[in-house]
Amino acid sequence: MNAPVVQLSNICLGPVGKPILEHINLSLDAGHFLGIVGPNGAGKSTLLNIIAGLTAPHSGHIDLFGQCLRRFNRRALLKQVGFLHQLHEHQPRLPMRVRDVVAMGMPSFANPLRWRTLSVQPIMDALALVDLQHLADTDFRQLSGGQRQRARIARALVGRPQLLLLDEPSAALDSARQDKLFRLLRRLCDDNGMSVIMVEHDIAAISSHVDSVACLNRRIHHHAMHGEQIPESIWQAMYGEHIRIVAHDTSCIGCVPDISHAGHTHD
Amino acid sequence: MIEFLHQFLASPVMRESLEPALLIALVTASVSVMIMAHRLSFLTVGVSHASLAGMGLALTLSLPLLPTATAFAVLIALLLAFIPQRQGISEDAGTGILFAGSMALGIILISSAPSSRVDLFGLLFGNILTIAPEDMRWLWLIAGVILAVLGIAARSWWSIAFDSVTAAASGLPVAGLRLLLYGIVGLTVILCVKLAGIVLTAGLMILPAACAWFWGRSLFDLWLIAVLFSLAGTIAGLLWSYAYDWPSGASVVMALCGLFILSWIIHGRLAWLKQHVLKQ
Repeated sequence: MNAPVVQLSNICLGPVGKPILEHINLSLDAGHFLGIVGPNGAGKSTLLNIIAGLTAPHSGHIDLFGQCLRRFNRRALLKQVGFLHQLHEHQPRLPMRVRDVVAMGMPSFANPLRWRTLSVQPIMDALALVDLQHLADTDFRQLSGGQRQRARIARALVGRPQLLLLDEPSAALDSARQDKLFRLLRRLCDDNGMSVIMVEHDIAAISSHVDSVACLNRRIHHHAMHGEQIPESIWQAMYGEHIRIVAHDTSCIGCVPDISHAGHTHD
Repeated sequence: MIEFLHQFLASPVMRESLEPALLIALVTASVSVMIMAHRLSFLTVGVSHASLAGMGLALTLSLPLLPTATAFAVLIALLLAFIPQRQGISEDAGTGILFAGSMALGIILISSAPSSRVDLFGLLFGNILTIAPEDMRWLWLIAGVILAVLGIAARSWWSIAFDSVTAAASGLPVAGLRLLLYGIVGLTVILCVKLAGIVLTAGLMILPAACAWFWGRSLFDLWLIAVLFSLAGTIAGLLWSYAYDWPSGASVVMALCGLFILSWIIHGRLAWLKQHVLKQ
């Protein structure tokens, strides 16, 4: 049996009295699409940063593709990981064509010995995935916010990663584009065996696409598989007593105990 | 005009100055793209002024001028990379402190040195016309190191300038590469000081990329255009310097400033025309 793509064992970060993350255990197999939801400051982005090797946990163990993530093998392991961090204010300053932005996601981009082997086709393929191939030669600074976000997603995908870490990828995308993105990710998981960990706020938007949802607020309160319901007590433990669950559709990974696969969180 | 060019090329002093000036133009233009991309213009100003202390130290202790100044400039550049990270001081404040402190130390050391050994005007404003053969070997060595490192690390630095978080997540050693860049900026400053002096060095290290920024659309474009602007500015500056007997460094920086203004105006007009034509 193949080793899990990601295996987190007892990950803790932050001081004992005020932990940022505590006792995180998570295992992800190839082709699995995991959504992470939780309130602001729950540690969602921090958890992604830990998996991407950007932040070292205070304790615990990270295995990627069956190997322990260490300083010496970090670079080789991360070549198989696509990463999209949360979009803060990011007004691009560098004059670059869209295709050059995407090229930066190729594992051999920074290797001077392999510049000549950089092929254009994977870049155009990645741009086609997000419907931006017609803008390949456009100046990245002239794109709209949503187009820039799609180019960044293409950059994360261009190296055909085995693991994709996405922090609120739907930010700046309209609802039609969001849905298209989630469908694309689902297809890449099913067809290519890529695994995805995606942080999102809106569980209703992602629940019909993902295989499971982890409810995170410093620790994983619940890890619901597709078709499983998330008890209201879990939402209240994460967001507070004032939370009320309202069902909107029937495809959501369970939000309301007595309505199967349906739900949406409201303050 | 042709006769003037003939006279210029026939002048042994100007002919000898062409090689180092064009070498400096090539290297500074190449590094200037990274300086613009990483917003290190103020660091460049800081390191170039701080290098006066290195020169003062060399004069006081009778050490070779260029190697001592080189070591000092690289040290200052690396300190500027470290201090803000470690002590929570903003990078511009750190640069300002080291810049003023080193400049003060340099002035004290140089004023204490035997006056016959000091060409203060040359140090401050540069003089490419008095370059010695041993200096030339040193310049070639520094230029070779800078261009080799640029060739290897340019794309990594570009990637970091675009998005350092994603660059780190792709496995690039971002902190180490940043230190390397600061060190290379320190080395380039020393290369420039011979032509433009401490005061004008920043002009050579910022203006070529600033001119190219209007026209380039990729790293290679920017590099090529910056090099062309830099070579054009250097040749024009040396011609001015020869024609009017102006200081060479100041003439080159003035020519580059002229090219920048020209670029800015032409780019602005073209953008306006494009918009105007598109509207119709």
